[in-house]
Amino acid sequence: MSTARSFSIKSLFARHEMVLVLVIIFEVILFNALGRRFLTSGNMSNVFRHSVEIGLLALAMTPVILTGGIDLSVGSMMGLCAVLFGIMVNVLGLDPWMAAFLAIGFGALGGGLNALLITRLNLPPLIVTLGTFSLFRGLAEALTRGAESYSGFPESFLALGNSDLAGIPAQIWVFIAVAVGIYLMVHHTTLGRSFRAIGYSQEGARYAGIPVARNTSIAYILAGAVAGLAAVILVARLGEARANAGIGYELLAITAVVLGGVSIFGGSGTVGGTFLGWIALAFLNNGLTRISDYRIMDQPIASVARELSGLLTGLLLLTALAIGASTKTLAVRRARKQSLSNIKPSTTNP
Amino acid sequence: MKRKTFLAAIALVSTLPFISCSKTESSDKLTIGLLPKSKGNQYFVTCEQGARTAAAELDAELKFDGPINSDPAKQNEIVENWITDGVDVIVAACENRDSISTALRKAQAAGIKVITFDADAQPDARSFFVNQATAQGIGEQLIDTAAELTGGEGEFAIITGTLTASNLNEWIKYIKERQAAEYPNMKLVDIKPCDDQKDKAQQEATNLLSAYPNLKAIIAVCSPAVPGAAEAVKQAGKAGDVKVLGLGLPSENRAYVKEGVTQAVILWNVEELGYLAIMAAAAVAKGELVAGATEFEAGKLGTMEVVGDNIILGKPFVFTKENIDQFDF
Repeated sequence: MSTARSFSIKSLFARHEMVLVLVIIFEVILFNALGRRFLTSGNMSNVFRHSVEIGLLALAMTPVILTGGIDLSVGSMMGLCAVLFGIMVNVLGLDPWMAAFLAIGFGALGGGLNALLITRLNLPPLIVTLGTFSLFRGLAEALTRGAESYSGFPESFLALGNSDLAGIPAQIWVFIAVAVGIYLMVHHTTLGRSFRAIGYSQEGARYAGIPVARNTSIAYILAGAVAGLAAVILVARLGEARANAGIGYELLAITAVVLGGVSIFGGSGTVGGTFLGWIALAFLNNGLTRISDYRIMDQPIASVARELSGLLTGLLLLTALAIGASTKTLAVRRARKQSLSNIKPSTTNP
Repeated sequence: MKRKTFLAAIALVSTLPFISCSKTESSDKLTIGLLPKSKGNQYFVTCEQGARTAAAELDAELKFDGPINSDPAKQNEIVENWITDGVDVIVAACENRDSISTALRKAQAAGIKVITFDADAQPDARSFFVNQATAQGIGEQLIDTAAELTGGEGEFAIITGTLTASNLNEWIKYIKERQAAEYPNMKLVDIKPCDDQKDKAQQEATNLLSAYPNLKAIIAVCSPAVPGAAEAVKQAGKAGDVKVLGLGLPSENRAYVKEGVTQAVILWNVEELGYLAIMAAAAVAKGELVAGATEFEAGKLGTMEVVGDNIILGKPFVFTKENIDQFDF
């Protein structure tokens, strides 16, 4: 990497994050002007309470995508961990906190399975996690025969999902801890730097002496563990553990990551970008439900918010990506041409 | 530089929630949130039509919102948003009984009245349940209609979903009791499960038709079995000779009903269910309907009976060749 190029790419990301900040400010002004009670502490609590699971998945997805991989199994993993948690508490009679700890462990195990298949058998992450996407959800459904669910958890546990701590929803504190942890890992450790190196060029990373298989595995195991944590938080919020927990969350998490400017090919992106991408999506989803005084196609916007938010999420993603595109694609293309002439970067994993 | 931008972004974003803002609410109308199991389902769209009629009569504001996918967290999120909105009453059809109860209890704690309709929550999470039909009402309506169609005599068979489904078994129990008491000349010859599959129901019906040549009627107590049995009867060339009736949606059975293969489809009047739910919500909000009440006035439906904490819609509705075109669910 020449200093000149890395410098220009850095400034490009700064630009992407600034665009996102502007998008978020625009959303806040818009929803506050058109909607009711958008910027109230009650509603802001809802925004974060309702999106914290997706935020966690997005944070954990960032290292995976930085290595040039992807993890489609995290949503299904939430379903499996939720069911396992329910069984451990209701059937085996375990203490909920102990069960929560073990559920996170099971998540890590599932992530380990992904990692094993990807790094040892050299299978593409997309295919492996597409397989475990079905496998984990299928296991969760098999364990409950698709019908059973678990509830009746103690109030002290439900407080994790429903109470406030120092004026902020309790689960947000967990989110902050995870966010800071992943930020420090990705941006302030050699391990974190190696994620980008692997994503940029696996061969190059290997020649540079980076333990590619080990470090890639860490990213998937972490994603699994965080999915387990997200499942525990979701169960605490809903008060019920069911096989369909977290259905579709993997795509929302990937959307947040990509909106945050992380390259889907790996090699570049920041945890801060993911964080901002997540906020932009969370505000969009909630903000639309606040607008009940304005109508679209003869319906109050609030009552078609869920349909609209899908559409606008797509538009937002494409627009945000397009804004920086003219300069960015040019730069990346030039960079690729250069690196292609030197070494062939592979897009699949080892 | 990158980090600076990021930190600036964090600082900016985290100050946003603390910018206070107050907006005056435009109306002091009664606001009711109606939460279906899913928004696109024609069944609930029909409920909404009835609910809109009731809201217009009451001059209340109606919010109708529900999940559009199978994410189990969505119903909770809608309820929590309504708590922030400060709606007066929430009327919910519960998809996941236990998880929605968590959110409904929160609403109650925030001073919002909660009732349920179509599918109940945990009893402590709502004050009343608007019940579309009792097991007894359904069972008796099925056997009464069968008796009417067969002249009160002859052999009949039942096709059920599974032999373990508790609600179906309860309906069958009332069918048997009523038949023994009121229609001694009718005889139940067989009960077959169809695993809630139309194909299996068709196969079972075909077997029944050959095993019992004197069969006069087939009662289907699960919805896939109604068109399944109809197809079997049609293919056996016994349309009209063997009466087909059962519990299902008019839309799934319209073709067979019009051909004269299926004589009667039984279901509650879904539009009236939505209407009644909103009337009950308003009565609860105004304090006209409180625990211990035995009846209340529900607009055009007249006086409705309250049994315990259940408000019963009444007798199920019978869809026939004559009226089935008036319903689009």
